[in-house]
Amino acid sequence: MKEVKVEVIGTEPPCMRCQASRKSVEKAAEKLRQSGIRVEIEKANIMSKEVVGKYGVLVSPAIAINNVVKIMGRIPNEDEMEKLLKEAAK
Amino acid sequence: MEEKTKRTVRAGIILAFVIVVIGLLIYSRIQAYSLAPTTPPIELRDYPLWAIPIVYLYDYFSHGTICLLFAFTVAGLIYEFVPKEVITKYMGSSKALGYGLALGMAPFLTVCSCTMVPLFGGVLYTGAGIGPAITFMLMAPASNILAILLTGEMISWELAGVRIAVSAVVALVAGIVISKTPWGKAVEKEHQINSSSSSSKIEIVKPPLDERLWAALKFGGYLAKQILPFFILGLIAVGYLEAFLPEEIIEDYLTGVGGVLLASVLGGPLYTPTLVEIVLGRGIWVKEGVILSKGALLSWLMGQPYDVANALAVSRITRWKVVLTYMLIAWAGSVTFGLLYGFLSGSL
Repeated sequence: MKEVKVEVIGTEPPCMRCQASRKSVEKAAEKLRQSGIRVEIEKANIMSKEVVGKYGVLVSPAIAINNVVKIMGRIPNEDEMEKLLKEAAK
Repeated sequence: MEEKTKRTVRAGIILAFVIVVIGLLIYSRIQAYSLAPTTPPIELRDYPLWAIPIVYLYDYFSHGTICLLFAFTVAGLIYEFVPKEVITKYMGSSKALGYGLALGMAPFLTVCSCTMVPLFGGVLYTGAGIGPAITFMLMAPASNILAILLTGEMISWELAGVRIAVSAVVALVAGIVISKTPWGKAVEKEHQINSSSSSSKIEIVKPPLDERLWAALKFGGYLAKQILPFFILGLIAVGYLEAFLPEEIIEDYLTGVGGVLLASVLGGPLYTPTLVEIVLGRGIWVKEGVILSKGALLSWLMGQPYDVANALAVSRITRWKVVLTYMLIAWAGSVTFGLLYGFLSGSL
């Protein structure tokens, strides 16, 4: 079983666009579970010093896969997310 | 291969739509018909009370739909295609660059209120510090693209231009002044973190063109959904204002030096979403196509950055002293430039 870590980085409380991003990630993760990839989803607060220290100034919503920010300031769709996660699992 | 043609066709259709929208706006300019309501107040007064909003809204939307469609489409496109990574890459590097980025990028990144406060926090925590953070914070609502487009279309392009220039000056001054005050420095020290340069941790993926265009339109639609309800409420209020607010009251109280002062005070605490302020401003100061006092109107429009909701959000991160300082500077700026512009343009 391969593992991929995804951080959904957004505002706290989550804004509408952050929630939509999270949903895409969750749906993609669900699909990938069947093909043997485990996706661990974490929520990160864009305002926290940990996040800013790690990645710098981001535009919400942002998504980091295995500690690399891949998407920022937009909502990815489910298919795109699936593709990115698959690549990361390789 | 087939996938590729499909994408090209999709991108083509969306681009065609965008071109039609832009074309419609240009066409309306060439035909020189007004994109704002045109019913004179005297006529409005003749309708029964309940009918005024309907007449006014109908009047507005029969002209203004093109303008709104254009504003939301362009806002969506710009937001999608502006390279957001630039902020992450360069914000922390130096003070001067920090100020430049704050001024240059704020108008494009903050059409959505949910991105503004996080960006403020992010900028504050990184090397750029409190000065650029405040500059960004003040520049953002004053000059976001939607606000500028609507100011231009509904009031005048001259005022829209002046508004950008003046907001930039005020935002810059406020940022620099606050970064020099002891309380500003204290906040900066408290929040500064050493971000171990992180460019290696950012690899933005770009989806194909058709998807980006579609996302841009969807974002424009999202903005419209968020803003239009307030906008329509604003229009209804303006309908009544135009019908019943006698011109003498405006001339007596809302023009001249006193008018600038009053407008600058009303523009802030009276919490109105950015775009509604434009409609209200038009309702109060523009009578049958003539701006009664350009100075007062500018002061009124500049009231946005120190409104209470923004101040509350910022005070959660910084201290009240910082918030008070920037509100004071923004208010002083709105009065000074209102008077100056009114004086120079001969319309105080």
